[in-house]
Amino acid sequence: MGRQIIEGILRRTASVLLVLFVLSLMIFVLARVVPGDPARMALGPSATAEQVAELQAEMGLDQPVIVQYGRYMGNALRGDLGQSLVTNRPVTDDIADFLPATLELVLVTVVLVFVISVPLGVLTARYRDRWVDNVGRFFSLFGVTIPSFLFAVGLQLLAGSFFPDWPILGRVDYQLNAPDGPTGLLLIDSLAHGRFDVFVDALQHLAFPALALAMAGIGQITRITRSAMIENLRKDHVLTLRSFGVPERVVVFRYLLKLSSIAPLTIMGLEFASLIGNAFVVEMVFGWGGFASYGLTAILQKDLNALMAVVLISGLFFIFANLLVDLALSLIDPRLRLRGAKA
Amino acid sequence: MALLDVKGLNISFSGYGQTRQVLHDVSFSVGKSERVALIGETGSGKSVTAKAILGTLPGNASVDSGAIAFDGLDLFRQSMAEREKLKGTAFSIIMQDPLSSFNPVFRIGQHLDDVMYHADRRRGVVSSARERKARILDTLRKVQLADAQRVYDAWPFELSGGMRQRVLIALALLHRPRMLIADEPGTALDVTTQDEILRLINRLVDDEGLSLLMITHNLGVVRQTADRVLVMRHGVIVEQGPLAQVFDAPQDQYTRDLMAAVPPLYGPGVTDQPVSDMPPILTLTGVQKVYSKRGLFKTGEGHLAVDDINIKVAHGEIFGLAGESGSGKTTVARMMMGLLEPTKGKIAVNGTPATGARRLSQIVYQNPGTSLNPKRTVAQTLAVPLAHTEAAADRQARMEELLTLVRLPVSFLSKYPHELSGGQKQRVAIARALAAKPRLIILDEPTSALDVSVQKTVIDLLLELRESLGLTYVIISHDLSLMRNFCSRIAIMLKGRIVEQGTPAEVFAETRHPYTRALISAIPVLTEAEQAQKPTVTEEERAKFLVPTGAEVSAPAGAAE
Repeated sequence: MGRQIIEGILRRTASVLLVLFVLSLMIFVLARVVPGDPARMALGPSATAEQVAELQAEMGLDQPVIVQYGRYMGNALRGDLGQSLVTNRPVTDDIADFLPATLELVLVTVVLVFVISVPLGVLTARYRDRWVDNVGRFFSLFGVTIPSFLFAVGLQLLAGSFFPDWPILGRVDYQLNAPDGPTGLLLIDSLAHGRFDVFVDALQHLAFPALALAMAGIGQITRITRSAMIENLRKDHVLTLRSFGVPERVVVFRYLLKLSSIAPLTIMGLEFASLIGNAFVVEMVFGWGGFASYGLTAILQKDLNALMAVVLISGLFFIFANLLVDLALSLIDPRLRLRGAKA
Repeated sequence: MALLDVKGLNISFSGYGQTRQVLHDVSFSVGKSERVALIGETGSGKSVTAKAILGTLPGNASVDSGAIAFDGLDLFRQSMAEREKLKGTAFSIIMQDPLSSFNPVFRIGQHLDDVMYHADRRRGVVSSARERKARILDTLRKVQLADAQRVYDAWPFELSGGMRQRVLIALALLHRPRMLIADEPGTALDVTTQDEILRLINRLVDDEGLSLLMITHNLGVVRQTADRVLVMRHGVIVEQGPLAQVFDAPQDQYTRDLMAAVPPLYGPGVTDQPVSDMPPILTLTGVQKVYSKRGLFKTGEGHLAVDDINIKVAHGEIFGLAGESGSGKTTVARMMMGLLEPTKGKIAVNGTPATGARRLSQIVYQNPGTSLNPKRTVAQTLAVPLAHTEAAADRQARMEELLTLVRLPVSFLSKYPHELSGGQKQRVAIARALAAKPRLIILDEPTSALDVSVQKTVIDLLLELRESLGLTYVIISHDLSLMRNFCSRIAIMLKGRIVEQGTPAEVFAETRHPYTRALISAIPVLTEAEQAQKPTVTEEERAKFLVPTGAEVSAPAGAAE
């Protein structure tokens, strides 16, 4: 067993490295193929041709793409992701500043998705075709079809009209002097420093962006959970337990939920990609000042180094999330442990 | 007084605005320590009867009138909680399908413990986890699961079908009920395993003085496990009486038809198919197949599926490949069709070496319910092979011709599979196989998913088609009583090898290999006379050749066919 697990991890790591390599190559080439000169954009229209050429040489843009890529990767492996043209700081510093904000938003969103959609999926399956189911299905269709920026704007309008005191911009009220470190996640840092007021304020700030971001996932996962539950409710093993008088709540919430969580978890891993994509938009609407807003500026300004870093880290996120999902799945399903080891 | 007394039970199902009555005025009783069999085919209402007693009827069922009394207690007048309390303690059910009756992501022991914990709680008994486990292990040993601890810790997929069926029996016995309801136990298992399961149930019922309500469609099983018989059809009990009376002198026409549809194993009713003297269409010489496994760093050793297979199938013959699950019969059939390549050995078609009879062969699968695409009409299903063999203009005529061949009305072309009965679906599957004008048809358990009375009509149809179209059949099955009457020659397979080959008359009269004897002796038969003619197997032979269902944790299921 031990050897099989190690083999599995090795195989997994190798494929992750390959994916990251291809991703980096693609985005590196793409960023250089699209029109627009980063040096010119950084220096502005008043700079002379010599100044632009000088900056190009400094950035290595006069070299062949393959040489540029080799140099970039060489530096990246040593932890140097280059300078940002927009902030004029090392990209690693920028990332360290902006990433926690997004991480916090995404984590809270994932929690929100599970907390809302799993019970909703169970309820709609259990009371199939009754009013609970109809309301739940309408709600999930609503979440899947409406784009997240519309939710974001809608929630802001709602807050503006009915709860004028509710914060709709930024992560935290600056007058509160939120404590720094150690993680950069406000919810954790505030508790670490015993600042309960900051915690509540950060939570208030998080509520709407997280909800706007979560709606699509909630819709999707509710539907998947519902259909998995309905499928499994018909199975013989449910009848076995019922025939021996095991209470319905145990049958549904213990036996069925564990079996039916396989599909939603798998989908959640895949959903993670669109979650990151949507975060770009939602962060802009709520002035979140996170990693995604940073990436958006990088794209618009052709800030090559920042762009590379944002894409690679998004990719890493996605891969890591799916790794976690696989781990969770193999904990749930003993058959997967066996097959995973064999495949 | 009878232990269970069902009186004038009427039950109907409603759905899509329609109400359909499934039980009509059903009355019967089961006495203390009495064994009663409820016989019926698919949809006859026998399972509904069991569910009504247990209290697990689906939500769309309604009891219109009638009463069920258990030991004088009127079940329909009890509160929900009172009825729950009876589950498992007054009566309990042995579930039908061992492979699907356990939740795959929970350990066997978890299922047993939860059932026991909640049953204890309902009765107001406080039990500790350790004490429950001791009781569970005791019960597991009672159903001849020697290594009870390992079974307790196993995941469902780690146990063989026979072992899981034993656990299902243990589940039913956990709280020493007074009556067992057995819903087709072992039907999904190999014949030898099924035989052992039935013996086990019989012994337990004897030892503990239980009453038994055996629900089954297999008349052979009934003879072994019942004192009294109820025959049910379309929700009506058409005949009931002591076993001997019903079997020796059936009064109702339906009972007589059921009895007549069971292929006899011995005696004057047995059919001997003529042996073909034509040249072979298919010759397998020294064929071997290894499924190899691949690891990351090295190629692992393979799994030897079949070895040293020598078969000649003559034109016009019905060749039977018999064996239990995992014996390699499906692998052999796939190599015959050219779907798999042998690792070693030669295959010749009509005397010339070939990779299998690809162009000449077609297959009819076991379960027409799953082998037909539910989203395609019969015409669309038939159109697939016809697209390769007929010009577009001739296709309609050919479809009509095919349906006529399998005795279905031409109007069925526009029907979807769900509108057809099991037998009709299997006819469509046969028509599909015939569409490409094959010379050789592989029949993979063609009747095992069908009711007995339908089986007979499908077999008769296959025999006629062979006659009129000059076909050759290779039939894969574990149903030896069917093969005795249907095949002109049979080969018995055990663990990938052929252990015996010959005409059915020879093989059944003078069984050479002990495994064949064990297989034949496990077949449930209808009469004492046949029972007496079955070969006997010693316990050593049984231990040597039969899959030990009681002791060993098998390879994960799913690898087998």
